Amino acid sequence: MAIKVRIPTPLQKLTNGKSEVECAAKNITELVDALEKDYPGMKDRLSEGGKIRRFINIYVNDEDIRFVSKEDTALKDGDNISIVPAIAGGVDNG
Amino acid sequence: MNPGKDVVLTIARDDLQTIIDHCNAGYPDEACGILAGKAGRVEKVYSMTNARPGPVSYEMDPEEQFRVMKDIRQTGLEMVGMFHSHPDGRAYPSGVDVEKAYWPGTQLPNYPEAVYVIVSLMDRAVPVVKGYTISGGAIREVPLAVV
Repeated sequence: MAIKVRIPTPLQKLTNGKSEVECAAKNITELVDALEKDYPGMKDRLSEGGKIRRFINIYVNDEDIRFVSKEDTALKDGDNISIVPAIAGGVDNG
Repeated sequence: MNPGKDVVLTIARDDLQTIIDHCNAGYPDEACGILAGKAGRVEKVYSMTNARPGPVSYEMDPEEQFRVMKDIRQTGLEMVGMFHSHPDGRAYPSGVDVEKAYWPGTQLPNYPEAVYVIVSLMDRAVPVVKGYTISGGAIREVPLAVV
């Protein structure tokens, strides 16, 4: 059993239109690398300097990785990963 | 929704009032929410928590957003739109609204199917509510059909 990753619409061009892909990884950093291997360009979309980009939220099952161990959050077979762009705005740049 | 096609977002008067009430409750800060439905018709309004409250900023509480998006999928609906208020600005997307509508550093719209509804409370007695798609580098108004 692998890890299932739900791919948001703006990244589906990289996955040939697939809204869900599978991969193997022990943590989020490995997951990003595994996605990059299968779908080049994914790493740059998801991260910057080894950190998940601001305004991109990643969930392991129902847990936001920011409240677990961020990029070190452990993964196991059968986990469901969701990548969700934040909904935000405003007139500042904060 | 296909940008460029003539589209309308249909919303019941009560649902529109729910949106306005939530924006008024958040005043003078921005307020926000998600609109669930099908085929350009709003069937459910989710009033959301602004996790970055201020008169010129909003960010939906990420965990709440995640839960709501899951709820929408599980009830067989789609996220047909989202809303936020401009307490002291017009009902038109700001530069940051547009920037945040795209995946960071790209021109790929995060939610190409969704209508961005903006509620202007500049005149609190007469809120102005308008909808837009933000996609392909363009902002297009989507008329709201209140039923």
